[in-house]
Amino acid sequence: MEELNLLEKLERVKAPPDFEQNVLNLLSARKEKKRARVRNLGLSFAGAVAVLLVCFIVLNVFVFRGKGTLDFSGLEKETPTSSPRGETLRAGDYIPIIEAVDYSREIQRPSYESQTIYILEQVSEERLEKIKY
Amino acid sequence: MDEQELVRQIQEGDEMAFAKIVNIYKDKIVNYLYQFIGDYQRAVDLSQETFMRVYFKANKYKPIAPFSSWIYAIASNLAKTEMKRTQKAPTVSLDDLHNSYSSGAFSENPVETGLTRNIRQSLNLLHPRYRIPVILKDMEGFSLEEIAQILKRPIGTIKARISRGRKYLRRELENVLDEEDKDLEKKENSYGRT
Repeated sequence: MEELNLLEKLERVKAPPDFEQNVLNLLSARKEKKRARVRNLGLSFAGAVAVLLVCFIVLNVFVFRGKGTLDFSGLEKETPTSSPRGETLRAGDYIPIIEAVDYSREIQRPSYESQTIYILEQVSEERLEKIKY
Repeated sequence: MDEQELVRQIQEGDEMAFAKIVNIYKDKIVNYLYQFIGDYQRAVDLSQETFMRVYFKANKYKPIAPFSSWIYAIASNLAKTEMKRTQKAPTVSLDDLHNSYSSGAFSENPVETGLTRNIRQSLNLLHPRYRIPVILKDMEGFSLEEIAQILKRPIGTIKARISRGRKYLRRELENVLDEEDKDLEKKENSYGRT
């Protein structure tokens, strides 16, 4: 084809003389960059874990220590008649109450006596088809 | 040592094998990208990036296809991305322009005059969809099967694109030549008046 001949007329170019060396230099730089990225990622991960651990310890030791269930419910601080600020409770306010409930008394114990099962069946002289259960 | 063996060594991180691959393919890839983009310096940069991909993505290479198809596929994809990027932002800073000219970066550009320049101009006007298969077929000498492997398209599609690409190229070349003729006539007329 004509175009084929025309395209063949286009001059072919070659890589510059230092191309190979440049590629190898670039490769070394990229490898170092990759190594640094992995190292930074590892350090970041370790730092994040350390911060979380410190937060967990601080919260447990200084904030949550000594606080039982009653503290959280506010029962010790709040009385039915007044709030810590001395304000009277309005209608609609609720007082948190923790009540111990023994469910063992609520549940009936199963009987250990032998149980009889009664099978009720209609006894009839008539044909079986007419027996209805 | 064949290419498959070299690739296997690259997969193990052998830089010597990588250097051999660079040596084998550097001229081919630079030329291919230059024909595709039309800018020697950008072609060289993209070629370097192509070889970087070869090294770092060597594990993704499956020996079911020839290595040449794989490396040309990488180069084609990079060139297409680069072209899209430059179409979106076709600006060049004045500093870069000054530096590239002053450093003689374009000295490797072949001096094209007359018909060769017109062919280059027509080729650059061709859509990459047609330009790539035409270059691969008519300049790099790949078979239809190999081009189909490189571009991951059926052979029928490749055949059609090459045919259409050649047709469009001919049309563009005729247009370019017509415009040149008109310019020449205008110049002659203006000289005639003076």
